[in-house]
Amino acid sequence: MWAAALLRFIRKRIVLGIIFLFSLTYCIVSFMKEGSSTTSYEIDTLPVRPLDRSFLWHSPKDDLNATDMKVSACRNSVQGKVLIVDDRGYVCSRGNVLPNGCCNIDAENTKRYSCETCKESGCCSIYEYCISCCLHPDKKQVLENVLGKASETLNVLFASVTDHFELCLAKCRTSSQSVQHENTYRDPKAKHCYGEIPIAGS
Amino acid sequence: MKLKVRLRQRHFRCIGLPFLLLLLTRFKYAETCSNESFPTQFVKVKFTTQVVKNEYIVAFNAYYKSQAREKFIAAALNGLDDRHWKIIARNNPASDYPSDFDVVTLEEAENSQDGLDALRLHPAIRRVTPQRMVHRSLHFENETDFLGDADNSTNTESFERWQSSRPMKRLSLAVNKQFWQSTGRHTSRRLLRAIPRQVTAILQADALWHMGITGAGVKVAVFDTGLAKTHPHFKRIKERTNWTSEKTLDDGLGHGTFVAGVIASHRECLGLAPDAELHVFRVFTNNQVSYTSWFLDAFNYAILKRIGVLNLSIGGPDFMDHPFVDKVWELTANKVIMVSAIGNDGPLYGTLNNPADQMDVIGVGGINFEDQIAKFSSRGMTTWELPQGYGRVKPDIVTYGAAVRGSAIMGGCRTLSGTSVASPVVAGAVALLASGVLHRGNILNPASMKQALLASARRLPGVNMFEQGHGKLDLLRAYQVLNSYQPQASLSPSYIDLSECQYMWPYCSQPLYYGALPTIVNVTILNGLGVSGKVVNKPAWHPYTPQFGHNIDVAFTHSEVLWPWSGWLAVSIAVTRAASNWEGMAQGHVELTIESPPEDGETEPRRSTVRLAIKAKIIPTPPRHKRILWDQYHNLRYPPGYFPRDNLRMKSDPLDWNGDHIHTNFKDMYQHLRNGGYYIEVLGSPLSCLDASQYGTLLIVDPEEEYFPEEVAKLKRDVDAGLSLVVFADWYNVSVMRKVKFYDENTRQWWMPDTGGANVPALNDLLSPWGIALSDSVHEGSFNLGEHEMYYASGSSLLKFPESGVVVSRSLKDQGLEILDSDADSVSKTVPILGLLQSRPNEVEGDDATTEKIFSSPSGRVVVYGDSNCLDNSHLQKDCFWMLDALLEFTSTGHMPSIFKDNSAKVTFPSSDEPLPQRMEGNHLYRYSKVIENHMGTMRTRELPACPHLVWAKPQPLNTSAPSNLYKAQKLLSVGVEGDLPLWRVAPGAAQVDVDRDFGGGLGVDMMDSLAEEEGIALLDLAPALLVISLAAAAVLLACRCYRSRTRPRRKRVTRLRRLMAVLNAGRAPTV
Repeated sequence: MWAAALLRFIRKRIVLGIIFLFSLTYCIVSFMKEGSSTTSYEIDTLPVRPLDRSFLWHSPKDDLNATDMKVSACRNSVQGKVLIVDDRGYVCSRGNVLPNGCCNIDAENTKRYSCETCKESGCCSIYEYCISCCLHPDKKQVLENVLGKASETLNVLFASVTDHFELCLAKCRTSSQSVQHENTYRDPKAKHCYGEIPIAGS
Repeated sequence: MKLKVRLRQRHFRCIGLPFLLLLLTRFKYAETCSNESFPTQFVKVKFTTQVVKNEYIVAFNAYYKSQAREKFIAAALNGLDDRHWKIIARNNPASDYPSDFDVVTLEEAENSQDGLDALRLHPAIRRVTPQRMVHRSLHFENETDFLGDADNSTNTESFERWQSSRPMKRLSLAVNKQFWQSTGRHTSRRLLRAIPRQVTAILQADALWHMGITGAGVKVAVFDTGLAKTHPHFKRIKERTNWTSEKTLDDGLGHGTFVAGVIASHRECLGLAPDAELHVFRVFTNNQVSYTSWFLDAFNYAILKRIGVLNLSIGGPDFMDHPFVDKVWELTANKVIMVSAIGNDGPLYGTLNNPADQMDVIGVGGINFEDQIAKFSSRGMTTWELPQGYGRVKPDIVTYGAAVRGSAIMGGCRTLSGTSVASPVVAGAVALLASGVLHRGNILNPASMKQALLASARRLPGVNMFEQGHGKLDLLRAYQVLNSYQPQASLSPSYIDLSECQYMWPYCSQPLYYGALPTIVNVTILNGLGVSGKVVNKPAWHPYTPQFGHNIDVAFTHSEVLWPWSGWLAVSIAVTRAASNWEGMAQGHVELTIESPPEDGETEPRRSTVRLAIKAKIIPTPPRHKRILWDQYHNLRYPPGYFPRDNLRMKSDPLDWNGDHIHTNFKDMYQHLRNGGYYIEVLGSPLSCLDASQYGTLLIVDPEEEYFPEEVAKLKRDVDAGLSLVVFADWYNVSVMRKVKFYDENTRQWWMPDTGGANVPALNDLLSPWGIALSDSVHEGSFNLGEHEMYYASGSSLLKFPESGVVVSRSLKDQGLEILDSDADSVSKTVPILGLLQSRPNEVEGDDATTEKIFSSPSGRVVVYGDSNCLDNSHLQKDCFWMLDALLEFTSTGHMPSIFKDNSAKVTFPSSDEPLPQRMEGNHLYRYSKVIENHMGTMRTRELPACPHLVWAKPQPLNTSAPSNLYKAQKLLSVGVEGDLPLWRVAPGAAQVDVDRDFGGGLGVDMMDSLAEEEGIALLDLAPALLVISLAAAAVLLACRCYRSRTRPRRKRVTRLRRLMAVLNAGRAPTV
């Protein structure tokens, strides 16, 4: 009984028209929505990392008392051909890396906060020395300046950095700032910079 | 009765499934676990039966012993002569027991049934039937045969090929933009069956999936054109970043989607590692623009994010882009496994792309589904090491790269070809393998992965190593190798057999002999011990005394530090003086030890010793006139500088970048000369280092470099002493050079060529002692020389040639004029293009003593031709190898071939004070030259470098011998889990990985299913909108139908139904 009534209701031209119009508008609306929803998000809108308290600046005191208790493990620069630098700022040869990843401080050539091969400008020819130099507590001001002025793409990078060591690892790598004409270094002799990269007139 | 049983070739996992043959009805086997749709074969079972004459089966109404049965039959046939009947003895274990039948032969007269009737009448006999013989035959038939030729187009289906033809930029190795999304493609069955196979199925990735290895826990970075976040094929898009100037993260081109799909798609067209964590880096704009600086920042981010596997389906010829190359090293040093496409510039040799040509990167070439190297796949040795050294073997590995199915930009699938397809196949495999060995902790690194892939690859027959590397990717074997991997060093190639054809081409194409320049093999050391390592002590050379190893000398040079994860070992091999007349094979091996600092809590440095077997074929030194020297030292190419193409018509390829080596773009010429019996050596040092008395002819083709004054003087002396010189020059015109400058998008600066096709002013310096000079005009055109058609593609002409020589002139167009002024009408004029000269030592006339000496010592000959394109494979239109043969006949014997004599004409050259072509003002050749340098703004010649001097390794002979066939599957050291891996121990019906695809369905249904699926896919993206529209349309239609049905009488459908039933019944009825 009610079914027949419903059927009759549906068969009415006006009802069909309404259904059709409704679907049409829904269709158009959903098309519009799809068009606009896929544009930029994610990384494009990542905020610049605020250097608040959550950012861990390295200080030599951290491990002054730690040396007594023995540091359990270090992160280090992994990649080096000959040298390795650990997160305390020690540079040593690959052979002097302890099983826990730290440099052996007792080894002859191990140096801390070494700025060998680095220039006044904050650029070094060897990556590991750049990091070691960068980890020096004095360089905090320089790094804060760098972070303040970093370009958009570099901000993406620095946004995922959590502490001083990681910042130095990332900052000392060659980047878009290190090249001119795309395929040549601005300064092939000092391409790893912890400070601002000078606009070189090489 | 005829019976057809349709079977599908099934996966090994299905073997345990119940297997039924139904004899009377057509049987469709419901396939439940395979997604393989190719190739389909049928088993045809045929029965033929025939009645065997005079043999009858006599069935009794109960079981009787054989004696009783015999009595019954004898009684029934009472009266019949017992010669006429016999019971056939059945010798089987059942014959001791009572039976209910016997087979009887009963010979009766024609048309007589007495005996039979008598038998039938006997009360104990139930039935008598004639004996039948049944023949059953089985044979396989391909479905293609079965269906006739409806399917011939399966593999010739045209598909889009992605190629890079603009080597200036670092290109995505895929270019064309049109998709073949014509909807008609999937509407007929024929076309559907043309859809290529699922690459995951061919690589048997499902075997690993069933073990629970699905790529989970591995971070895979895709550096490409981006990817839509909502693409239905992907489960785990962890992050997307944009490094381009365009403000979008989505793929507007389809390349990035496809590549990501091959790695990680989990629907429709499957990827290899569906559970891998995808990190999408957008480094290409939709216009395929990308810059080194974008890559640098993106790579830094990849390091920071600790990416495990990185796919780069891109490449370019600029391996001297130091910031980029350094950054790739840095990435692998940080344990990122880099997989990159070798390039789409084949079949020309010398076309490898960077970064795939780096030692630390896995360079991937493409093959088709017939296991042939895909035509587009780049090949040939690396050209970094030229001119002094020899190139490394690349690509490392090959895999399917032609007509592979992958994700399309809007969902659904599409087919693509290119090495940028092959690269993600390997990247996906690497991700899958990596996730399979996560439990093994630290063993995984770029070197160990590469070692496992190379050691497990399957070699393709008849293809040389500069095309296929180690062979075809074998995923399962790679898993086995990796699963039992133990940190070690290995070599690529893993042995040197200079006589093994085709694999060791070009080494196998020319045997060694005393006096030849050393043959160099550039071996790559892969060091799985650590990111940094070194070769301890010196590699040791152990010749095998019984196998004449002492007849070869071996020298080594190797990288100081093996970093990152790799290094090179150059093995120079020469024949000892003692073997100058010896012929045979010499064998031995090299042993070297690699050391890396301790890791994982070890205290001792890690060490690994590897062996490199060596085998060489030696022949007595060939005569001087058969020996040719190819000058490599004076060939310069891009990179580093802009050295323009030799054929000015080829505007798409502006650079001369294939190395100009006899084993790269002059490969065909080399092969032709070898077939002609000439021996060719390559000179990688200045002409002053050359021992001219050894060679008949010096071949200088398309040289760009300058010459040391010492070289000019030395060459003159050598020619006087009997060496011949053949020069194939090329165009050089300062105005044309200025015209072909271009703006390089990548380096964002103007590029001005530093020479023309060849360096004509430098050549003129070299040829001046003979009074020969080339002009700076540029000519082009076709002509005939004798019977031969020739094509002159942008060459110069002779400006001066001595009277005594033979000169050939032809009428050619002035191409220089055409290029400078495109409106100008082409002007043809007759120009001298080829000159042949019998040289005489310096004319010191009047001195009788010297003139006499001249005739007693015949000096060499000089030949100059104005164009090198007819020898160069790069843009070869018509080769002139025949002419080279004729010229070599002249230079080696002094006999002037008639073809040149007949075609020569007297040419009046302009007066000798005509100015010679000058070098372009302000060119930067000095930056790339080994000969000149810039000194306070003026060019000056550098100091002549010392000639290379090899120190032969001290032989440490061994009294052993090795098998003559050195090739065997490379074995890596392994921990003791080899052998029984749980690979095959998967229960049939084991839970499927959650890959959203139903592989089920009967055969016919299966086809239909996939048909529906294919169409469904295309619809899926426009999903909600289309759904609503169709709903509305359905409603409207329904309404209309209702209206009509009221007015019209209903049609009778009974008849149709009945007909249908009849058909069904007929289908089931036996046909015989």
